[in-house]
Amino acid sequence: MIWPIILLIATPFLIGVSGLVVRHRQTLDVLHCVQAGIMVVSSILLVDEVSLSGPVSFLYFLHVDAISAWFDLVIGIVAGTGTLYAVGYVGEQYDRGHMSLKRFRQFFMFFDLYLGVMLLAVNVENLGMMWIAIEGATLSAALLIGFERNKGGLEAGWKFVILSSVGIALALFGTILVYYSSEQLLGITEEALHWAKLYEVGDQLDPSVMKIAFIFILVGYGTKAGLVPMHTWLPDAHGEAPTPVSAMLSANMLTMAIYAILRFKILTDQAVGPDFTGTLLLGFGFFSVALSSIVLLLQEDFKRLLAYSSIEHIGIALIGFGLGGLGVFGGLWHLLNHALAKSAAFYGAGLVLITHEHKFIARVPGLLREHPVAGVALFVAGLVLAGMPPFGLFVSEITIAANAMNTTPSIAYGFLAVLTLAFATLLFQILRMVLGVPMETATSTVGPRCRAFSTAAIAVNLGALIFLGLHVPAGLHDLIGAILPFFHAEGEYF
Amino acid sequence: MPTLPVNIGSYLVNLCSALLLLTCFAIVAQRRLMACVDLFALQSGFLAVTATLVAYLTGIHHIYLAAILTIAIKAIILPRILKKIVRQLNVQREVSMYVNIPTGLLICGGLVILAFFITQPIVHLGFLLTQDSLAIALAIVLIGFFIMVSRQKAVTQVIGFLVMENGLFLAATAAAYGMPLMVELGIFFDVLVAGLIVGIYTHQIQETFGSVDTSRMKALKE
Repeated sequence: MIWPIILLIATPFLIGVSGLVVRHRQTLDVLHCVQAGIMVVSSILLVDEVSLSGPVSFLYFLHVDAISAWFDLVIGIVAGTGTLYAVGYVGEQYDRGHMSLKRFRQFFMFFDLYLGVMLLAVNVENLGMMWIAIEGATLSAALLIGFERNKGGLEAGWKFVILSSVGIALALFGTILVYYSSEQLLGITEEALHWAKLYEVGDQLDPSVMKIAFIFILVGYGTKAGLVPMHTWLPDAHGEAPTPVSAMLSANMLTMAIYAILRFKILTDQAVGPDFTGTLLLGFGFFSVALSSIVLLLQEDFKRLLAYSSIEHIGIALIGFGLGGLGVFGGLWHLLNHALAKSAAFYGAGLVLITHEHKFIARVPGLLREHPVAGVALFVAGLVLAGMPPFGLFVSEITIAANAMNTTPSIAYGFLAVLTLAFATLLFQILRMVLGVPMETATSTVGPRCRAFSTAAIAVNLGALIFLGLHVPAGLHDLIGAILPFFHAEGEYF
Repeated sequence: MPTLPVNIGSYLVNLCSALLLLTCFAIVAQRRLMACVDLFALQSGFLAVTATLVAYLTGIHHIYLAAILTIAIKAIILPRILKKIVRQLNVQREVSMYVNIPTGLLICGGLVILAFFITQPIVHLGFLLTQDSLAIALAIVLIGFFIMVSRQKAVTQVIGFLVMENGLFLAATAAAYGMPLMVELGIFFDVLVAGLIVGIYTHQIQETFGSVDTSRMKALKE
């Protein structure tokens, strides 16, 4: 059955292109609701398909194995709810007269293109094509971050373009080095860039080339993943971009960048053994968690707060992958739950931004009373992001810590220390916003359409988080079972 | 198929790669924006010549296509876009830089040595014809990176990015005999779109901030 993968990738491109001809706002809304539905359903079906009957290939360039299916699920579900939220949020800007119909249509064309290339990036078989798709995501994100054309947006957008371009260029150099090494074995053909082929001959690749290549790849794609110290674009971009875009940057683009790093990690491990990449990932992961857990406390802007929390969580996932073993399960589970929780938090934050027209944490206490939808979204997502049981991030953090305790206890101590710090700082900031008595009256209220769409998006995300916290579907269990052998990891999970 | 002896071919490829590197240094030493754009176009020309040589010497035909695209996109279209942007701006020379020119040249010299040092353990794997080009390509990538971080004007930062791209293309052609055709076409498309997008951005930055001096954009920080 190949139609879930076709639908998943083709829908955003087709609906994005339809924005060129569709001139009615109503029709665009309906089309994007359809797109949201298709993305969520087809990514779930794809997981079922791959976990039951193995990899799916389509045409000559798409190849969905268990790893791709996992990232399809993460990106697909969040892209679906993100589309719903964007319909409400950007529609509200249009209703208020902040945006012309032309700009409204442009926004959705860029937005759909952005989602489409990210889904493409995690499914293509050729690592050169993957680079092209990731660069496409960079460029469409650049257009979206500066979309509102204000000073902050332009500054953040420019910083993003410059830093990401440098990163992506370094990643291409790494990709060229891999090809340089693999074509000695596979010949000058396109197959020398295919994952499946490379994994067959991985142990014969030249170790010194692969080491240098992996460093370039890690620094390059790591810039897109927001790893410290290449993270400086991330808080600016997340803070200044239109909120649906911030949510997609955080939940999807960072995840996609981790996917790219993992693909190369598997290959490099075959050539040089797991210690080399493991140490690098652990180092970058630790720096990311440590820095962001402190900086979280200094934030006065709630969108930047969520941005730093993304740096922290990507760091945690990286520590999991760096440890290997069941840490890999922890990392994967972490990425899925983080994407759901962080986008829900951004959806809530966006509603606060629309109604209050500022982003100061200190000026919006009492959100649970004043704006229950936004308040609940921020409160529940905040608890999840802080790592409270029974949610998924608690499971993944505990798994990573326990795994570290078994292998190298010193890592576990450090990990738990920074984790506790991040728990305290994030929860403190979130509780300051959601509890208490409202300080100021909102400057405006959101329209019924925006309220309906954003409530729906938040409900799906929070529902999925609670569901995954209480019960693990068999399909996901099997899928993780199919991914672990890639990392030579085994053990009992859940 | 090649009629030139391999070692003469190898000398020619090395000569062209060295010329590419030389234009990098010229860009680092140049304050006038128009001249920087011209130097970038010249560099792209040398790149196309290198690619043509490799294509001729190895008989791999799709590299010819890459050479033609290099001329069209990097030596003609992108320089035109950049010159149009420079003409619209109120500035022709870059007066202040984060690093002054003599220091910049010294740093770039250091970067070249670093590039040779990094690639030293892996060049023996490459094809005989183009063994030294990998180090030169990495040097060009690093110098492009340096141009991006040392300049304040949006236009010169873009030129730095394009120089990096040229270095990458040299690495792909000379060291790996070209990426597969689809990949190469995709990369060209992305570079072209990137050029257009930074064009849009510089225009909007100029309109909103009244300058393309990116050192004025520092509202966002901790």
